[in-house]
Amino acid sequence: MASLTLDGLTKSYGDVAVVKSVSLEVRDGEFLVLLGPSGCGKTTTLRMIAGFVPPSGGSIRIGDQDITRLPPWKRNAGLVFQSYALFPHMTVAQNVAFGLEMRKATRSEVGPRVAEALRLVRLDGYGERYPRQLSGGQQQRVALARALVIRPDVLLLDEPLSNLDAKLRLQVRLEIRALQQQTGLTTVMVTHDQEEALTMADRLVVMSDGAVRQVGTQSDLYERPADLFVADFVGRSTMIAGTVTDPGAFRSDGGLVLTCPAAAQLGPATLALRPERLTLGPAARGLDNHVPGTVSFVSYLGAMLDVHVRLNGTDHVVVQIPNKADGLAPAVGDTIEVGWPASACLVFPRETA
Amino acid sequence: MAHVSQRPVGEPGNLTAAGLLVPATIFVAIGLMVPIAILFRYSLNAFVPGKLMVDALTVANYVKFFTDPFYLQVLWRTVRVAVACTFFCLIFGFPLAYVLARTQSRYKNLLVMAIVLPLFVGNAVRAAGWMVAFGSKGFVNATLMGMGVISTPIEIMYTETAVVIGIIAVNMPFMVLTLQSVIEGIDRNVEEAAFSLGAPPMTMAMRVLFPLALPGILAGVILTFILAMNAYATPVLLGGPKFQTMGPLVFSTFAQQNNWPFGGAVSFVLMTVTLILTIASTLLIRRRYA
Ligand SMILES: Nc1ncnc2c1ncn2[C@@H]1O[C@H](COP(=O)(O)OP(=O)(O)OP(=O)(O)O)[C@@H](O)[C@H]1O
Ligand SMILES: [Mg+2]
Repeated sequence: MASLTLDGLTKSYGDVAVVKSVSLEVRDGEFLVLLGPSGCGKTTTLRMIAGFVPPSGGSIRIGDQDITRLPPWKRNAGLVFQSYALFPHMTVAQNVAFGLEMRKATRSEVGPRVAEALRLVRLDGYGERYPRQLSGGQQQRVALARALVIRPDVLLLDEPLSNLDAKLRLQVRLEIRALQQQTGLTTVMVTHDQEEALTMADRLVVMSDGAVRQVGTQSDLYERPADLFVADFVGRSTMIAGTVTDPGAFRSDGGLVLTCPAAAQLGPATLALRPERLTLGPAARGLDNHVPGTVSFVSYLGAMLDVHVRLNGTDHVVVQIPNKADGLAPAVGDTIEVGWPASACLVFPRETA
Repeated sequence: MAHVSQRPVGEPGNLTAAGLLVPATIFVAIGLMVPIAILFRYSLNAFVPGKLMVDALTVANYVKFFTDPFYLQVLWRTVRVAVACTFFCLIFGFPLAYVLARTQSRYKNLLVMAIVLPLFVGNAVRAAGWMVAFGSKGFVNATLMGMGVISTPIEIMYTETAVVIGIIAVNMPFMVLTLQSVIEGIDRNVEEAAFSLGAPPMTMAMRVLFPLALPGILAGVILTFILAMNAYATPVLLGGPKFQTMGPLVFSTFAQQNNWPFGGAVSFVLMTVTLILTIASTLLIRRRYA
């Protein structure tokens, strides 16, 4: 067990840079999640750590050992593949024992450790089965046991849940998280599912287009997104385009004059609002910003309702309210007041092209 | 209500599937089983010079084959050559097939074509080409002597080595293509999983790749071994008249000596030995990796 450090890690294929100078520090025992849209370079980064993709630049360290040039079989990294990649010609027990045999563990040592790993993933008694005789969720747990049993320095997971059905996914992600905490393994997981990322991670790394956009805890990313991309990608936001005209004053392109945090930089900007931070109805009047609007659309989410409110010809916001069965839900066409505090305004300078 | 009987495809009574098998079955029966049966019957007949074949029921032809050192020598040489060819096809062919199966190159199709291309040149034509190239007055010797590298022509033609190399060249595409298709079916991630668990490349190959490629290895070995056992043009043209193997022996016994009973016996020995060795190698390989 050790910390993992990426320093200016870069990968180019020909002229195309798919990972651009990624620097990260994963602390000993930490669960770090790489989150980002499809094709942003998450898998490539993970495969560089595992040793399957030679970096074009930068370095990788485990503890204080530089492993940048080590072949995969000399890195002590436990890897769980999206497709599980179990050895189909070996039993579950043989699959789990493989890594121990490679480490020249004695026979008397292998048996108990395999049994222990299988117990850890709640698969005791399945040792003699072949992978094809297991369900997807069970195969996933064998893959996890196989990676854990070698006591790796780092555990690497590439979308480990994406082949499971929705119900099972909820269960397994809690299990993986519990296992990780139990074993204290330094872990890097890749996913493009933000809910999965938020529930499992100690810290998250948001990537886009090969570069790190922000590193932080769940609340860092949600409350204090570093840029518009993060604000949009983590959680949901509705955007209002406009200009910061004076400290703390925002004028939208549609003509609304709003109060925003005084720290916002002057000039063209985009204001992002989290749907659940907005208030509908008479209660809105007491807030820093309150604007009348017309309900244009209501979408029913079960526990919640998304109310789309048009404020003028240009601007509209989405408001999320609890679905209280009191018959007072707004209907399309209603005129209604929307309000929010200045602190709910996330203001980002407009990237000038 | 009208009762329509519907039987799922493949249920007994549905004759379509069976019907589709009939032409192939008839073809195999007429083209293969019948001649073999007749051949076997002939091999039990007696041969009287001048009268060709006399009806009989004797094992004399087989006794003759297995008691004459000349014929045993031919059989042993054939087996030796075939085993060597199959072995080298496998160990040279596997890396080639692996690269072919795993390459991301957009020239992959060209590579496959390059492997198949030799098959467009028939065995006889190819062997004739080699005679021109490697004969004592051939291109290679002439060049080497012209450059003063050697003073007397080196004997490349008419050796066992020439025949082995010749058959390897002919059989290699069969081995490579068979292996390639099986290796392509093996998940690349499984190899990577072995690497990440600490297996260096050779260990990964022995523990993961070969066992998973086993069906392809077996198919390739069987195919090339049978082809090598029955090779005709290559041993005749590259081995020369003194280099007898079973294939040419069958032909000369029938066509030149007109000894059908003995020819039948030689054919049967060849077939049986091929079958036994194929089964033996299958069991051996299975035992080793499965
Ligand atoms: N061998 C390669 N040659 C060229 N480009 C590649 C290669 N491998 C990956 N890429 C490119 O690198 C980029 C990043 O790929 P990567 O697989 O890391 O994305 P990802 O973030 O894991 O996406 P996803 O969520 O879809 O799995 C993609 O645009 C991809 O096309
Ligand atoms: Mg990926």
